[in-house]
Amino acid sequence: MHELSVAEELLARASEAAADHGADTVETLTVELGVATHVNPTQLRFCLETVAETRGDSDLTVEIESVDPQAACDCGWAGEPPSFGATAGRVPTARCPDCGSSVEFTSGKECRLASITVPDAPECNEGVHT
Amino acid sequence: MTLFTHPRRSHRFPIHRLRRVLRRKNPLPVARAHRFGHGDDADGTDMSDDVLAQYREQARALHERLVHDHDVSVVEFLGATGSGKTTLIEHLIERAPSDEAIGVVVGDVAGDDDARRFRTHDVDVANVTTGKECHLDPGLLGDALTDLDLNALDRLYVENVGNMVCPADFPLGAQARVLVVSTTEGDDVVRKHPLLFEACDAAVINKIDIADAVGADIDRMASDIADVAPEMDVFRTNGRDGDGLDAVASFLTDVRAAGHDHAHH
Repeated sequence: MHELSVAEELLARASEAAADHGADTVETLTVELGVATHVNPTQLRFCLETVAETRGDSDLTVEIESVDPQAACDCGWAGEPPSFGATAGRVPTARCPDCGSSVEFTSGKECRLASITVPDAPECNEGVHT
Repeated sequence: MTLFTHPRRSHRFPIHRLRRVLRRKNPLPVARAHRFGHGDDADGTDMSDDVLAQYREQARALHERLVHDHDVSVVEFLGATGSGKTTLIEHLIERAPSDEAIGVVVGDVAGDDDARRFRTHDVDVANVTTGKECHLDPGLLGDALTDLDLNALDRLYVENVGNMVCPADFPLGAQARVLVVSTTEGDDVVRKHPLLFEACDAAVINKIDIADAVGADIDRMASDIADVAPEMDVFRTNGRDGDGLDAVASFLTDVRAAGHDHAHH
């Protein structure tokens, strides 16, 4: 349900970066989304596309790259934590498979704007052979 | 095409010079690209590219401000709509020492029903209506704090929006996150929401007085919590009469006494 506000934040950041390059639209937006979050990738894509459309960016291509969970425990264990069974999506536990204590995720908790592409600016096309 | 590297990385990655040289001779036939730095870069300057990490950072800053700068003990209550969060906080207010100054921030999608209830007690209340949002985030909580005199407060209760999914991704900087479930939600409620239990510090099983009437097995709920979060403190309460609330109050006193070094909130 919070995908809408997350999408708005990501697009605001993307627009800012596009503006830094003199572009007012974003062509492709790539998000790295951790598996150990409650952000639903399908809903996030829908929200990104919908919000972009309201801003006049109707051709935005959204790429969502799933980031596997990695965790480390005080006992020395590190690796990919086991998942809860029988869930529609993969839901990793925050338990150490060795000693049962809480683990800290080292990856899998992110929702990160990884890259964007913007249309070629006219002056940049000069002399460029494609 | 022109390839842009992230400006904040360029000084540490001499590869951008190589790219510049290559580009001059052999421009790539793709649209201009902007890559953002990794949030796990040593200097952490690219935190803002990760939206969830940004919220976690704001929560840490709130914790610093409330708990360390203003010496306010902050306790967050979460759980479904109707689980009994408001009633439990009211009981805790009644049990507080008379010289304890209490503030309450109440989050709801709409209305001020809970805020009006709290205003009948001798506490400072800030109401947050989230509109479209399913949870409080550190920014909303920070805004609400402007209604309260932090220097005067000893304890702040934060009642999150009734929701058992989204708040897992949005810590608020509390010293303890207390998750309230009730027997009326079904005794399988714990197994349906493992991530939120993992994100909290204590659980309350409420409405134990009507467990039989709604066919809920309280022991099963408690053992499910032990499976999902073995280190979690679990309390059984009857919010209507206040049974079991003394134990919750004493747990929260211990949380405060344990100091300000709480690991991950």
